[in-house]
Amino acid sequence: MPPVHLRFSGLARRFGRLPVLRGVDGEVGAGQVLVVTGVNGSGKSTLLRCLAGLLAPDAGEIDHREDEGEPLPPAERRLRVGYVAPDLALYEELTAGENLDFFARLRRVERERGRELLARLDLPPDRAAGALSSGMRQKLRWAWALLHRPGLLLLDEPFQNLDAAGAAAVGELLAEHLGAAGGTGRPGAAVLAQPIAPTLDPRLAVADRVELAG
Amino acid sequence: MSSWLAEAAAVFAKDWRSEARTRYALNTLGLFALTTLVLVSVGLGPLGASAAGAQVLPFLLWIVLLFAAAAGLPRAFVQEEETHTATALRLAARPSTVFWGKLAYALSLTLALEVLVAPLFLAMVQLEVASPGLFAAGLAAGGFGLAAASTVVAAIIAQARARSTLFAVLSFPLLVPLLLLVVEVTRNAVGGEPAAVALRQLLLYDASVAVAGSMLFPAIWNP
Repeated sequence: MPPVHLRFSGLARRFGRLPVLRGVDGEVGAGQVLVVTGVNGSGKSTLLRCLAGLLAPDAGEIDHREDEGEPLPPAERRLRVGYVAPDLALYEELTAGENLDFFARLRRVERERGRELLARLDLPPDRAAGALSSGMRQKLRWAWALLHRPGLLLLDEPFQNLDAAGAAAVGELLAEHLGAAGGTGRPGAAVLAQPIAPTLDPRLAVADRVELAG
Repeated sequence: MSSWLAEAAAVFAKDWRSEARTRYALNTLGLFALTTLVLVSVGLGPLGASAAGAQVLPFLLWIVLLFAAAAGLPRAFVQEEETHTATALRLAARPSTVFWGKLAYALSLTLALEVLVAPLFLAMVQLEVASPGLFAAGLAAGGFGLAAASTVVAAIIAQARARSTLFAVLSFPLLVPLLLLVVEVTRNAVGGEPAAVALRQLLLYDASVAVAGSMLFPAIWNP
């Protein structure tokens, strides 16, 4: 099955009078990672929110396709991507397992997929999300993002708060995603945003690097 | 079950599960309902036995229900925004399923409130209802209108900064026609008079708010 492809050009976004993105271009294909770097406030998170369909850019084009289809409209992009970001929270009063069960129902994914991801990330399914440490919450975000086997992962500071074992576990999941998006048989893609370029597993193919000016 | 219905049902079930853990809306609704109920019944006594009671008490019943609902229902979307769970919900569910799931949750809370308040109110003020069927239909249709209007307003104010001001400004024109209609239906039910026109208008109001809310919601929900 032909895989995922994302290309964006001339993306601009301002908040009031403050321009945050000024004509950003990039492209990533199946099996690749696009690395976005830039100082704090340079627009990395805004770029990822635009790519996810959570923010409408003021100018520019986003061409996100899957399986040789037409470019996905923002409403579809939102449902297809996997998203890990500091501003993403799950329901604190529900357990980690209940959170993934809920989203599995919304995403029409089997419940066992959530349990499998929790086990791989060494997360207790019966602990309330509000009682998880910051590193465990970050791993829960990863489990949430990978739950529906997305073709495209949008990762905003995805290794934040993770210990060595956690970083290795999510690194392994990222490598699997790029190899065959969660067992779908087709390679996925990822856009990874961090202030400083991360040291990535040498197995991961870096498509390009985009440096955002502050 | 269709996938759309399953999604909306998942949102509904999640809201109830969260509510069962936090009890925020249940406690708020219960507190406001019982407090106003006690104040009204102690202040007025067995007013239902008098001729004026049938005219005045339907207003008071709906004031009690409105106060309690206004205290608890608008949290539906504000909480999702304040706790930053709205992003996850936006990325996982179609807007229409979020709207109808939240509306079903608000409706179930409102109906539960009515089941608790209405019999107590009737007993405390000793008000007899000549047409119980019409009375129940008024409660159901009025409850739906209250839940639908609250859900629409809650969705709008969740995106705004001046939430409390906006809540009052938006709620007033939405709730006043609803209350006037539902009080008329309730008053006619108490007096045993027909209320077909008012009931039809009430159902039309319910359908209009729910359909308009459903159509507006994707634009409100996705900035």
